[in-house]
Amino acid sequence: MSDQKKIHDFAPRTLGAGFVHKKDLVLAIILVAFGAFMYYEASKFPEAPAILGDTLNADVFPKMLITIMFLLVAIIPFEFKLTPDKVAKIDKDRDDKTLTITWLTILLLLTIVSFAEFLGAVVTMVITCLALPLLWGERNYIAVIIYSILFPGFVYLLFNKLLGLYFNPGILEAFK
Amino acid sequence: MEDVIRGFQLLMEVQNLALIFGGVLIGVLVGALPGLSSPMAIALLMPFTISLDPVASISMMAALYCAGTFGGSITAILINAPGAPPAVATALDGYMMAKKGEPGRALGLAAICSVLGGIFAIVIFLFATPLLAEIALKFGPVEYFGLTLFALSMLAAMSGKSSIRNLIAGAMGVLVSTIGVHLATGVERYEFGVPELTEGIKFVPVLIGLFAMSELLNQSKTLNAAVERMSAKALKLPTIAELKELKGTILRSSGLGTFIGILPAEGATVAAMMGYNEAKRFSKTPEKFGTGCAEGIAGPEAANNAAAGGAMVPTLALGIPGSGTTALILAALVMHGFRPGPYLISETPHLVYAIFGAMLFANFAFLGIGLVGAKFFSYVTFIPKRFLWPSVFIFSLIGSYAYSSAIFDVWVMLISGIIGYFALRNGFSPAPFVMGLILGKMVEETFTQSMVIYESNFFNFFESGVFIFFIILTCISLTTPFWGTIRKKLAAKKVE
Repeated sequence: MSDQKKIHDFAPRTLGAGFVHKKDLVLAIILVAFGAFMYYEASKFPEAPAILGDTLNADVFPKMLITIMFLLVAIIPFEFKLTPDKVAKIDKDRDDKTLTITWLTILLLLTIVSFAEFLGAVVTMVITCLALPLLWGERNYIAVIIYSILFPGFVYLLFNKLLGLYFNPGILEAFK
Repeated sequence: MEDVIRGFQLLMEVQNLALIFGGVLIGVLVGALPGLSSPMAIALLMPFTISLDPVASISMMAALYCAGTFGGSITAILINAPGAPPAVATALDGYMMAKKGEPGRALGLAAICSVLGGIFAIVIFLFATPLLAEIALKFGPVEYFGLTLFALSMLAAMSGKSSIRNLIAGAMGVLVSTIGVHLATGVERYEFGVPELTEGIKFVPVLIGLFAMSELLNQSKTLNAAVERMSAKALKLPTIAELKELKGTILRSSGLGTFIGILPAEGATVAAMMGYNEAKRFSKTPEKFGTGCAEGIAGPEAANNAAAGGAMVPTLALGIPGSGTTALILAALVMHGFRPGPYLISETPHLVYAIFGAMLFANFAFLGIGLVGAKFFSYVTFIPKRFLWPSVFIFSLIGSYAYSSAIFDVWVMLISGIIGYFALRNGFSPAPFVMGLILGKMVEETFTQSMVIYESNFFNFFESGVFIFFIILTCISLTTPFWGTIRKKLAAKKVE
């Protein structure tokens, strides 16, 4: 039943029964909003000094580009009528919902980067090697611990000791 | 001749040879690992090559590019999961041959056809690059503007899910390239009070984010996916008789691949698909395609590696990337202080010949690596994703930080990755964006100069015949993706 419903839901959008593709319409609105914002920002650029003569103002090129983008974006909601097979493929990808694990991964990566400067390179690497496999369901704890020691160690030796790359010590500075 | 010798002399230094061999090894490895790709590896490597000799770094990346194209076919054949998009067509017959109990033969065919295709393209590359550069030297800003427009329009036909979305992504890339100080007027654009944005968005963190981070997020959805693996004990090279039978397919695909590679923005994926289709069209036994036939492997493999060599021609001669990966090599050239385009050959010819040598070396090296390490590479696919991708994240973190020791770049990398992931879900590929980002400055610069020359009247640009030629090509390439649909609709109307 649920499969049948899914096929029924999928068909009108991709096979052209509707006038516009709803998801692509939302996408187009987002892109237009972004473009409008950039256009507005461009109109605030100061004019080129008169001494530069015929030189184009700094806003001309971005505004021209955004206008072209608007024209292209306007096609997106109707693209399913032009190339139905291709949009059907995109729909297939989109129907595959972003899983909780992906959202959690994004959250974890954002957290790691937020604290990276404070923690320092080595501690950040160790935490990443511990947290990411565990978040992704790895339950071989010994393997995770070995990995979180050996891999950052290898990276530290290779890049810091061998290639001379600067590694921010972060909280480890307190132990020096 | 002196430059050729100098280029080769540079290559022959032990350190440089080791770097190129390292590039080949990394290329085959990342090519073999599903999810990892040569653009991603080049993006990750780029910041670490700053301190290396520029010629050796660029040669290493070129070698990685060649080897990565072959590496992708290893997993295409052994687990039916192409390690890289150009190997998609190889999987059709390669995996079937492996399933029939001949994985070694399939790998051997892929390796030798890749080498032959690669060498064919390198020979063309050697002759075509200086010729093309000589023509391009005569170009003024308006001709160059026409050329960059044509290159950007080719994004419509670039492999991807949608031509319109490719063009939008390209335009978005050009728009992002306008962030920072406008060179002609000194006006700061889109810096939103963030001092780091005054210098513009740096390529490297964006490239790492788009290629590595977005794929990491993508992979988080398929952590438990099980794949059926074939283990290949050894790579079995084809016999002379077998190669004689395949010579037509190899030659045709090599020519086709090189030509497609030379076209701006077209890459190995399109070449491989066309190589496969043409091999089938010319075959005496087309019904055998898809069941594990040798021509089905030779066609795409010769074509995709030839395209890799071909794509280097516009990259080096015109400064217009021939594919997504060469866009990264172009970024690396800029990072190392070279001037991609016709001046590259007139100012630093030894670099071009060193790249040529590196690619030649890479072709033989991956054949050797394939012969010795086929068994090892079939095991590489056993590395659990739960450990592989955190390692990729660490390399991304260090790579983006190492570029200018600024946490801001790490944020740029991560945000680019997150945006890239959602963009990919909505049919936007990263390659067109990258092309736009890299070509952006050139488009604006040539447009501004042309406007000054032609008294701010765009229509005066049409006084140049070369510009008109490129505009015609641009119109053709913009409409090509829709010809198929229009033809189908017309045919359907006729039937009605």
